[in-house]
Amino acid sequence: MTSLVLTFFKIGLASFGGGWTIVGIIKADVLGQGWLLPEEFQQVVAIAQITPGPVALNAATLVGYRLYGILGAAMASLSVVMAPVIIGLLVGKLFAKFSKSSRHITEALKTGTIALITMTVWAFAPSAISSPFNLVLAILSFAMATFTNFNPLWLILGSGIAGSIFSMIFG
Amino acid sequence: MQVKKNDKPGFWEIFSFFFGISAMTIGGGYVMVPIIQRSLEKKGWMKEDEFYDLFALTQSVPGPLALNTALFTGRRLAGLQGYMAGFLGILLPPFISVLLIAFVYDSIKNHKIVAGFLNGAFAVVPGLTASLAYKMVKKRKWTLKRAISTVLAVIALILSGKWAVPVFFCLAILAFFLEGRRK
Repeated sequence: MTSLVLTFFKIGLASFGGGWTIVGIIKADVLGQGWLLPEEFQQVVAIAQITPGPVALNAATLVGYRLYGILGAAMASLSVVMAPVIIGLLVGKLFAKFSKSSRHITEALKTGTIALITMTVWAFAPSAISSPFNLVLAILSFAMATFTNFNPLWLILGSGIAGSIFSMIFG
Repeated sequence: MQVKKNDKPGFWEIFSFFFGISAMTIGGGYVMVPIIQRSLEKKGWMKEDEFYDLFALTQSVPGPLALNTALFTGRRLAGLQGYMAGFLGILLPPFISVLLIAFVYDSIKNHKIVAGFLNGAFAVVPGLTASLAYKMVKKRKWTLKRAISTVLAVIALILSGKWAVPVFFCLAILAFFLEGRRK
């Protein structure tokens, strides 16, 4: 339980740029410690993105639940938001003003955040080429999310339904 | 005689405001933040420019966008109790719904339609995250120095495995000093 709390607290510290950026780190840690199998983690991410709320937070809740039930779910969720909540409460205003006024910090964080999101892309890229079905959906979702204002929710639900149909026909 | 209510909201109003938005919105911060902004304006609690000033602050502290937005606007509206109201309101709906799904998941996971649905829903993750990365890269003002340090940071993070968080902070500090130096 202690390592669950410490791991998610640590991950929460680095969650600059929104939730998706840290999903790659969560994957590295959760698989690295042998908490879940790769397929199980894949299902965790799938469920996390079709439930309301930030993806990284939902993923933390699910990992905690898998390991220690409801108590684990509560501890993991609280740990991953602990750093933002404390920083926001104690030094939020000061820190944010300071870092906004200093372009150097903003730019340094951008370098870090872009590296984080790229790590996340890298972590999930193999699944895009695991089957023709996945490849088509990956390209389609990239194009629609990048070049249209389509709500990502419909993309997620649409490809979920496509997946259901696909597995009924070929599964 | 009816007394007109003060237009500053209290704990329960702020809590139910964020609880409602959080429960009804799927798709994370990028979907939620514009909805929060419009609803705050409609309630007359906060003007658009005030909101986006606050939102700019939230981006330089860690944490999910939607959570930080709720915390900062909650505090602006009602101090510490607004902060707590934003925290609980934004976090409880996902927590409850994730648990509900987790309860039933084990009994339905072997069902073909469920497994297929999750596979399909997962298949968009590489595309969606790549799109996020693309937008971040496109929005940034690039210099040669920034390009080189970002590429090196990407390689270091991918190689770092479970050391990713300390490596991230070392990289940010290094990038900070690089920015500070003259070209």
